[in-house]
Amino acid sequence: MKLAPFVSILVGVLAGGLLLASPAGAQPLDRAALIARMCGEAAAMGEAGTALAALAASGEEAERAWAAPLPRAAIDRTLACDEAGAVLTEGGLDALTRAPRAAQGTPRTPLLSLKNRPVYELADAAFTLRMAPSVSQRAAALKILERRPALIPAGLLEGAAQAETDAGLKAQIENLAQSAALNAADPALRRAAIARLTENPNRRTLTQLTGLKSDAAYATDAAFRQAVESGIAKVERGIALGDALATLYNGLSFASILFMAAIGLAIIFGLMGVINLAQGELIMIGAYVTWLVQQGLRSLAPGLLDWYLVLAIPFAFLVTAAIGIALEASLLRHLYKRPLMSLLATWAVSLFLMNLVRVLFGTQNLQFETPFYVTGGVPVIGDFIFTWNRMFAIAFAVVTLALTWAVVRKTPLGLNIRAVTQNRDMAACIGIPTRRVDMMAFGLGSGLAGLAGLALSPIYSVNPQMGQNFIIDAFMVVVLGGVGTIAGTVVAALGIGQINVLIEPLWGAVAAKVIVLLMIIGFLQWRPEGLFAVKGRRK
Amino acid sequence: MMPLSKDRPFLALLLALVGVALAMGLLAGTPFALSRYLANAIGQLAAFAVLALALDLIWGYLGILSLGHGLFFAVGGYVMAMYLLKHSFVVTGTVPDFLQFMGWKDFPFYWAGFEFFPYALFVAVAVTGLIAGIFGYVSFRSRVGGVYFAIITQALVYVAMLLMFRNDTGFGGNNGMTGFAVLFGWPMGTSGMITALAIASLLVLAGVLVGCRLLVGSRFGALMLATRDDETRLRTLGYETLRLKLGVWCLSALIAMCAGMLYVPQVGIINPRVLSPELSLEIAVWVAIGGRGHLAGAVIGALLVNAVKFWLSFAAPDIWPFILSGLIVLVVLVFPNGLMDLATFKLVRPMGPRRAAAALEEGR
Amino acid sequence: MAVTALLVDGLTVRFGSFRAIDALSLAIDYGEVRAVIGPNGAGKTTLLDVISGITRPKEGRVLFDGAFDLTQASDSAIARAGIRRKFQKPSVFEGLSVRQHIAIGADAGFRRALDAPALEDRVSEVLETVGLAGHATHLAGELSHGQKQWLEIGMVLASDPKVLMLDEPVAGLTDEETERTAQLVRRLNRPDRAIIVVEHDMDFVERIADRVTVLHEGRTLFEGPMDKVRADAGVIEVYLGR
Repeated sequence: MKLAPFVSILVGVLAGGLLLASPAGAQPLDRAALIARMCGEAAAMGEAGTALAALAASGEEAERAWAAPLPRAAIDRTLACDEAGAVLTEGGLDALTRAPRAAQGTPRTPLLSLKNRPVYELADAAFTLRMAPSVSQRAAALKILERRPALIPAGLLEGAAQAETDAGLKAQIENLAQSAALNAADPALRRAAIARLTENPNRRTLTQLTGLKSDAAYATDAAFRQAVESGIAKVERGIALGDALATLYNGLSFASILFMAAIGLAIIFGLMGVINLAQGELIMIGAYVTWLVQQGLRSLAPGLLDWYLVLAIPFAFLVTAAIGIALEASLLRHLYKRPLMSLLATWAVSLFLMNLVRVLFGTQNLQFETPFYVTGGVPVIGDFIFTWNRMFAIAFAVVTLALTWAVVRKTPLGLNIRAVTQNRDMAACIGIPTRRVDMMAFGLGSGLAGLAGLALSPIYSVNPQMGQNFIIDAFMVVVLGGVGTIAGTVVAALGIGQINVLIEPLWGAVAAKVIVLLMIIGFLQWRPEGLFAVKGRRK
Repeated sequence: MMPLSKDRPFLALLLALVGVALAMGLLAGTPFALSRYLANAIGQLAAFAVLALALDLIWGYLGILSLGHGLFFAVGGYVMAMYLLKHSFVVTGTVPDFLQFMGWKDFPFYWAGFEFFPYALFVAVAVTGLIAGIFGYVSFRSRVGGVYFAIITQALVYVAMLLMFRNDTGFGGNNGMTGFAVLFGWPMGTSGMITALAIASLLVLAGVLVGCRLLVGSRFGALMLATRDDETRLRTLGYETLRLKLGVWCLSALIAMCAGMLYVPQVGIINPRVLSPELSLEIAVWVAIGGRGHLAGAVIGALLVNAVKFWLSFAAPDIWPFILSGLIVLVVLVFPNGLMDLATFKLVRPMGPRRAAAALEEGR
Repeated sequence: MAVTALLVDGLTVRFGSFRAIDALSLAIDYGEVRAVIGPNGAGKTTLLDVISGITRPKEGRVLFDGAFDLTQASDSAIARAGIRRKFQKPSVFEGLSVRQHIAIGADAGFRRALDAPALEDRVSEVLETVGLAGHATHLAGELSHGQKQWLEIGMVLASDPKVLMLDEPVAGLTDEETERTAQLVRRLNRPDRAIIVVEHDMDFVERIADRVTVLHEGRTLFEGPMDKVRADAGVIEVYLGR
């Protein structure tokens, strides 16, 4: 009798914890005895099957490799029992030593009883789940296990989950492990399962836990009831936290888009007192340029297609900046002392651009690829998923903010912009070319709108009217933030973005807009010049 | 401001409006009567011209640009539609489409009494006065003006549009309200009714035009111009400009409301699209094209632009936005006083530095 | 009648971290023409802004006739109390005629203060005083710079104010126009009126002012008659000596 396998199984059992569900797992066995049982009576065969399943759950790798073909052989009746033990007829190998030999005398191929068959099928599936090379095989095995959660040996699913490389299958295994433990016979095991379940609170686990309230143990077992109650409370807290985080996150991403739409407006407004009603259409054109870059890559360099969002950055910026500069040079330059007329003029441009795009591209939504870096997300807590497409917009806005700040604070152009914003006449007197500064600033502001269009293309639908959806919110950001301050724009965008997202689930999107507008009007009672206005005496 | 008796372009326009109304009345029923389409178009144009006057009053004479005047137009229009539907229901028993669409058995409670026109008119005036009064008070009190004011009024009309697009408000939602059968007991859609509505619109237009002319020609009108040119200067002469601005603002809103009440029975439908920021911007364009700060200009601008739009919406609907944007750019860059520039330029005597004086800009 | 028209008491005005006026106190009497001078940024125009209710001070008060705290009143209420101001930049209503300006100036508020014939007389009188009688029907936009200055003076004069503030009334005027303005200011001087003039033209100040207040960095540097001002070492250092 070899001692090593027995010790190894025992160690494996101990390592799997003292919570083993199957009584067979604790039974001492060695390879020869196992084979003997498989060739024995129905009761012995059943014990062998249970032992095999336990082996799949907590045996050493070498043991598992040895035992893996056995359940299948029993099911397919390719296990031939003879005096010397048994032979796997499939490859002509001795069942115990795996040395080639033929069966002796008249071998018997034991038939699985109706009761034993599921035990062996389960054991086979357990081995497949842990050892099959292909994901589809493992997934099929998991399906079999799912049908008989009560028979699954302890530690199997945990071990399989740990070794699983496919993220989707891994999640499925973990789910099954939880519900298996939840329905286990041992109350301690169930409580432990509840505790584990609460570590990952979301609406599905809440449903699972709430389902336990109708369980028989809930009425009879006080400890169990208490575990369920506190588990539900904990999960609800987690869900609330997750929802709050999700709201904040969505608000942040909306605020990022608002910020990007508004920062260009704010710079231009501070400088020239002009609100550019065509800013929404510049956003739209930024998105269309992004789409064109995607289409270009598709036909010229398909390998780079995934990177179109990054590669389109200079194009989106330059195209919209060029439009802005052309707009300033041809139209707004003549309207400096007439801000209300410039409103109408920029609206004419907005009308023109929108209809031009409509004629050229049609009115349908554009189709965008979703590259891997804006696909999916990381589940954090509750139902809050940290999605990459929103993160892309947020990160993009942060980078834009940093760059805009750097341009305005650290470059000669920025210095000139600030000088002209504060006092145009004085700036002109000390030799700042105010007209050129206006033109460059308009280009900058327009280019930023183009980048906003790029950033929102993975999240929102892109069509000729899309600019209208953001522009009025963006105006409100400028009004709230005050004339031409970056800080004001950031704070106002965050405020309006968050308030919109906060109110929306309570009273709907329309109410959110109404309340935001009322709040802004109310706010202007208190600070008519916006949040960060520069005060001075009447000029 | 020249005396009314010498203001020949103004008198000519007034005469033309009353003349067309008279001619339509006299020729009604004869073979020389205008076609139904044309009579209806004239009536709608007149309603738009009233709307343009409303905006010119505050933009041209007070320097306050509202990009939300569609809101007051819509209040008038919606109230008129409510009156028409309720009245038609009482007379003919037709249940409005939107009630059936929502699966409602009865009118919502706030529709009570709308079959009586005086009550409907009262509601229209009250709602318009309330919205304009509160919004105007809080805006003017905190000295919100210029571009800020324009943008906030635009947000106001935009939010109102989103609100009215909802189907559960009881105002027809997305589809709006239509199917008006009876007006003041008379069936709608007949030639006589169309002509009568057009004549009424023309006469209201003429009346509003005269009223506005008298207002801006008075001492009060001088104070309006003074507010436009330098509000702080006027305040430091002892004038409480808040009250002046608020009064004119509310008056302008009420005129826009009247335009809406005239417009809806003629076009036969109202829906939230009258609240789109585009319509409100277009009003400003009519006024700018006609000549801001000239009442006759605003009327002519509204008539002309909308006539072209009516015609083009048949001939070439896709081209209209391009033509409109071209017109705006032309007016903004080349003719800062719109058609008035053309008039003084060619037809009427040179008026000294009129162009310079009139080109002086809205607020600073 | 109180002798002191305006009492400025511990006034401080801040724009951000910049103190435009710093704990300033001064008194202006009826019957005097007070000139306020000082380098750019000394707080002269800001002082007038506070008195006319356009700027709210951080601290301090301005008492009119010993009782009416102007820092708590609106700009239009201050004007109705009889305090009028001509702005530094000629502020006229370009779309209105000269006559309309004077009529608006004579009538404070929407209710007419004067009946039609009385208003007519008043307008003619003021037009005569400021020398614009020949331009009564012209639009303000058509006037020359000097005429605009006088028109604005006429407009603030028309209501017979108790306190008259003139912010740089001769900036940009010819010598002849300056001379005429000086005569006008002297003629406006009455025992029941205080006149405050902010001006950079020292010869003009010398001709019109009874007393001179020199402001520097929001504080009073010196107060006294013009000849003493010219002699003061501190004033010479910060202002005249440069």
